[in-house]
Amino acid sequence: MRTYQKDINADFICKHCGNFVTTHSQISGVVNRNHCPYCLHSRHVDLYHPGDRLCACKALMKPVGLTFKRIRDKYKPDNHGELMLVHRCNNCGDLSINRIAADDDPGMIRAALMNIVKDQPELLWACKINGIRLLEEKGHRHLVQSRLFGRPAELQVEAAVL
Amino acid sequence: MQTQNTDTYFTGIVYKKVLGHYDVQHNNKIINCSLSAKLWKDFSTIELPGNSGRRVTQVSEKHMDPIAIGDHVQFIKTDDGSGMIMDLFPRKNYIARSSAKPMPGAHAFEQVIAANIDQVIPVFAAADPEPKWHMLDRYLVAAESYGIPSRIVITKFDLVKTTPAECKLNTWIELYQSIGYHVIVTSAKTFEGLENLRQILVDQHSVLVGKSGVGKTSLLNALEPGLGLHVKAVNQSTGKGRHTTSHLEMFPLQCGGALIDTPGVREFGIYGLESTDVAAFFPEMAPLLGQCKFGLSCSHDEEPGCAVRQAVMNGEISPYRYQSYLRMKDDL
Repeated sequence: MRTYQKDINADFICKHCGNFVTTHSQISGVVNRNHCPYCLHSRHVDLYHPGDRLCACKALMKPVGLTFKRIRDKYKPDNHGELMLVHRCNNCGDLSINRIAADDDPGMIRAALMNIVKDQPELLWACKINGIRLLEEKGHRHLVQSRLFGRPAELQVEAAVL
Repeated sequence: MQTQNTDTYFTGIVYKKVLGHYDVQHNNKIINCSLSAKLWKDFSTIELPGNSGRRVTQVSEKHMDPIAIGDHVQFIKTDDGSGMIMDLFPRKNYIARSSAKPMPGAHAFEQVIAANIDQVIPVFAAADPEPKWHMLDRYLVAAESYGIPSRIVITKFDLVKTTPAECKLNTWIELYQSIGYHVIVTSAKTFEGLENLRQILVDQHSVLVGKSGVGKTSLLNALEPGLGLHVKAVNQSTGKGRHTTSHLEMFPLQCGGALIDTPGVREFGIYGLESTDVAAFFPEMAPLLGQCKFGLSCSHDEEPGCAVRQAVMNGEISPYRYQSYLRMKDDL
């Protein structure tokens, strides 16, 4: 039976870098893939919920930084949630946070942390309004590094000895 | 073989259609008719230029089933009291859908649901089965494209009354009312809203369309208690209807007019509509056509400077309706 539903998770070509992006969850590890793993640019397609594809803006979204997802478990050791990408729409300026996929370029993610534009007060203000706390290179570099590449070798050895 | 005892032609309206047999109403009497071979041949053959005669080349699309409910036909009476339809009068209007395809890529035919009607009534259940609003948009666009007004009926309201689902349902009702559609909330169990429905049916030929199990026939039973039409509850395991009504039939109403009951459908393909024309049949999008940067060539999908997309972002058009538009456009 035909269902008359558009396949919202179809593979796509990145509008920013032109690379082909596959949306298979077995490769990316996420259900709703909407950013390019190579340049991390996204598209403004979700409105109310991730994957609803209800937004009519459809403009490019630029990665503007990283943040940690808020967690309710306050007894968790590092008290930080999942590392997320922060995107900002080039057209309407909306902010959204997106899960980092398994096939995202970790070098580009680290670059997103380092390239945070601190001289954009309107961006910082928008983040504050939306409850997004942008990570800073100075204070969170090691934490992000460990999330992306695992714990440093010396720390792993220490943990093994203990 | 039946022989015709007279050459007198009668006219009537097709009230029921079951497997090639048609019940035609003439002078308040129902006459069971079949289709004459000549008429069938006329509908299923095409004239080839350069050939002396007519020969069957292909069964033309619109003639898979040439007679629809509500058609005005000319027939003759045969010896056994039945009739034979000899001719079909031109239709005032009709509503059709694209037939289900036997396999992907196969050609879909036009299936005429009803002819000579005054309004289309898409019927949706408030719950059980859950309403599919994208499908409602398909019915509304189909009706708009055939130039027939439509009114929305929500059934089984008793299932959601005073529950959180009622609030969600009201949001949808307000959306369609803001577009300009008349929405009537009913319940065949508690008889709520039936008077409102009866008022819009007076002296109108209406057709009920909707998914299987939404309560089209139950609504008809509630409106005309003497009918006693067969109904069944939805399947509790799948939550879907059981396709209890399996034929098309028109029922005259005591308040005047008639109501056509149709079998439930699980899909409704729009036939004969170009993807570039779909937006014109969304009443809230129609005034914006031509105001885009690319004028009438805009498909309202990816183009910059699109007035429709801007209206969606401004909150003037519902994003759900816009998504319905995109789905329909991609399907055509």
